[in-house]
Amino acid sequence: MRISRRALAAAATVAVLLPLSACGSGSDGSGSTDASGKVEGDITFQTWNLRANFKPYFEGVIADFEKKYPGTHVKWVDQPAEGYADKISADAAGGTLPDVVNVSPDLVAPLAKAGLALDLDKSAAQYKKEYLDGAWASHQIPGMTGTYAFPWYLNTGPLFYNKSLFEEAGLDASKPPTTYDELFADALQLAKKSDGKVATLANVPTIEDFGRYGVELMNKEGTAFAFNDAKGVELLTKYKELYDAKALDPQALTATPESSGKKFLTEAVAMNPGSALDLGNFKKQAPNLYKNIGITDQITSTSKVNMYVMGVMVNSRTKHTPASVAFAHFVTDAQNQMSFAKKVAIFPSTAGSLDDPYFTKEDGTDETRVRIAAAKSLKNAVNYTPVLFSEQMKTALRNEVAKALQGKESPKTALDNAVKACDTLLKQQG
Amino acid sequence: MASSSSTARVRRQLPTSPWLFAAPGLLVVGVFILYPFVSTVVNAFTDRRTLIPGTFVGLANFRELLHDDMFWIGLRNSTLYVLGVVPALVLLPLLLALLVQKNIPGITFFRSAFYTPVVASIVVVGLIWVWLLDERGLVNSLLESIGVGRVGFLSDQWLLLLSAMAVTVWKGLGYYMIIYLAALANVPRELHEAASVDGAGAVRRFLTVTVPAVRSTMVLVAALSSVAAFKVFSEVYLMAGPDGGPAGEDTTLVMLVQRTGTGLTGRVGYASAISVVVFVVTVGLMLLVLRADRKEDA
Repeated sequence: MRISRRALAAAATVAVLLPLSACGSGSDGSGSTDASGKVEGDITFQTWNLRANFKPYFEGVIADFEKKYPGTHVKWVDQPAEGYADKISADAAGGTLPDVVNVSPDLVAPLAKAGLALDLDKSAAQYKKEYLDGAWASHQIPGMTGTYAFPWYLNTGPLFYNKSLFEEAGLDASKPPTTYDELFADALQLAKKSDGKVATLANVPTIEDFGRYGVELMNKEGTAFAFNDAKGVELLTKYKELYDAKALDPQALTATPESSGKKFLTEAVAMNPGSALDLGNFKKQAPNLYKNIGITDQITSTSKVNMYVMGVMVNSRTKHTPASVAFAHFVTDAQNQMSFAKKVAIFPSTAGSLDDPYFTKEDGTDETRVRIAAAKSLKNAVNYTPVLFSEQMKTALRNEVAKALQGKESPKTALDNAVKACDTLLKQQG
Repeated sequence: MASSSSTARVRRQLPTSPWLFAAPGLLVVGVFILYPFVSTVVNAFTDRRTLIPGTFVGLANFRELLHDDMFWIGLRNSTLYVLGVVPALVLLPLLLALLVQKNIPGITFFRSAFYTPVVASIVVVGLIWVWLLDERGLVNSLLESIGVGRVGFLSDQWLLLLSAMAVTVWKGLGYYMIIYLAALANVPRELHEAASVDGAGAVRRFLTVTVPAVRSTMVLVAALSSVAAFKVFSEVYLMAGPDGGPAGEDTTLVMLVQRTGTGLTGRVGYASAISVVVFVVTVGLMLLVLRADRKEDA
C-alpha cells in the first residue's frame, strides 16, 4: 500500500494541530451559580501543602461531610507549597481546576477576573454572617463586585528577638521595640556596638512593612498604587540608613524568608518574624538561642498588625455547585476551623471563635502566650498585602528597594519607579 | 502520455510502512517539540496571559523588549555567561582529560570523582555552594582567618555572577572531560612519538599534536557549552535568588522568561517574545561557532 505525499502532509498537519486545538480549548463547561440544589456528586478539593501534617484531620472532615450528605464523594488532592500558584495557573489554563481550592486573596484575584471563581455573595450569601466582617471582605477584588472565596484560617506572627544580643548592645531586653522609630534606633545601636557584625533585620521592607508604617498602599478606588508618598520615602530612607550601618544584613537584598530565618538561628541577626510553630524549631535546632529568645508583637506604627488570610474558593465551572459550595462552607465553618486551630498555630476567621478560652486563657507556657497575644492582635489586624499585588509586582518593588539601598537611586526615585512598574502591571492584568 | 502520468504518480507516492514505524516518534516530536515551539512563536505576537488567550499585537512585544531595562540586563548577563564560561569549559576539561588519560593504578577513582558533580543534582550543588560562599560560610571564614576579610560573594552583583559561573564550570568539567577522553583515545600515539623525536616538549606536543587532533571536539564543546551557558537558569536562580540578585542585576534571559511568564498573572506573550530572542541568539551562536570551524578548515 502506498500513500501520496499530499495525504502524508495532511496527516502530519492533523497530528500536529490536533493536540494544539485540544490544548487551546480549556474548559468551556461553565457550571451553575445556583447552589440551592441537592448536595450530591463527586467533587475534588485541593489544599496547599497540608497533607504531610494534617492528613487525619482532613480525612475526618471529608468523612463527616460525606456522612452528612450521602451521595457526595470528595477527592482530596494536596499540592506542595513550592510552585503552588504555577500549579493552579496550569490547572486553570488547562480547564482542570479542582472544584474547591485552597487559595490566598492574591491568587483569587486573577482567577475571579478570568471568571473562574464563584461569586459567593450570589451563591452563598446566607453564610456571610458566620465570618468576621474583615475576613469575608478579604476575598473581594477592587474593581469587581462580589466575594470570591470563603475565609478560612487567619495567621499572624510575633517578632522573635535575641535577648543576649540586645543586652550585649546595652539595650534593655525586656523592652523590645514596638514601633518602627524604636526599631531603627535599636538597630543602629546594635550595629554600632557590634562593629557591624550583628544586624537586627535580614529582609528588605516589603509591601506589608509599608502598610504597617502607615503608608497608603493604593488609591481608594484600587486602580493605582500610591506607596511612593512622603511616608513611603521616609521608610525607605530609614532602611537605607540601616543598610549603610550594617544594621540590615548585607545579604538582605537577595534574602528569602528561609535564609533570613537561618541567619536568626545562627545568631547573626537579632530579630526575625515568625509564628508559634518556630518555638519548637528553636528548641530543637538552636537550644542556645532558645534560652535567650524574646517574643514581642509585630512592629507597627499604625497599631494594627498584619495578618495573612487563607481562603477556600469554589470553581465557577464546577458541575456540582451545591456540593462544592456546601463543602467549602463545611471546611471553613466555626466547628471545623476551631478544631483545625487546635492542631496548628492558626486562627479561625469565624465570628466569635477568637473569644474561646483557647485563645484567651494563659497556662504559663510560651506557646500559649504567643497564641493569646496573636489572637488579641488579630481582632484589629489588617491584611496589608493588596489583593491585586502580584508576584511580578513584588519583584518590581524588591528590585527598586534594592537600588535605593545600594545608593543607585534615591528612595523617592526608586519608589516612583516601583509604583510606575506596578501600575503598568496592574493595567496589563486588565 | 498515460505512461508518463503514472510515472509521475509513482514518483509522488511514498512507501507506507516506514512512515508507520516513524509515526510514534513523529507524534512525540509534534506534540512535545514542534507544538510548543510553534505555540511559543505564535504567542510572541500576542498579548496572551496565563488565564486570558490574548489577541494579536504584531511586533508590540518585541518593541517593548527594546525599552525594557530588565531585558537588556538579562541579555548582558547571558552574554557575559557565555564569554566567562565557554573558554573555561573548552580548555579546563581538556587539561583534566590529559591528566586522567593515562592508565595508572587508581585513575578510575579520579575519573569518577571528576565526573561526580555532573551526576549531582543542580539543586543540591547550588545549595552547597551557597553555604560555602555565604557571608558566614566556609570560604569567608577561611578568608577572614588569613586576614583577607569577608567577601560578598552572594551580595555583590558581579561576584555573584562570577560565583555562579564557577559553579557551572565546576559542574560541567567532568561531562566535557569524558568527551575529550574519547577524542584523545583516537589521537595516534605515533604523532606524539614523532614530535618527541623532533625534540618537542610536553607543551609543544600539546599545542602541535593534541590540540589540532581534538580541534573538532573543541568546537563541539564550544557549541554545546555556549548554548547551555546562554540559557543558564538553575545556578543563577539558586545562588542569586528568584529576583536575580540585588535589584535583579544578575537576572539572565531564561530567568526573565520564567519570572515574566509564569504564575496566574504571567505575561505569556511577552515571555514568549523573550524566548524567541533566546532561540535566535542560540542558533546564531551555533552558526558562529560552526562557521569559525569551517574557516579554520579552509
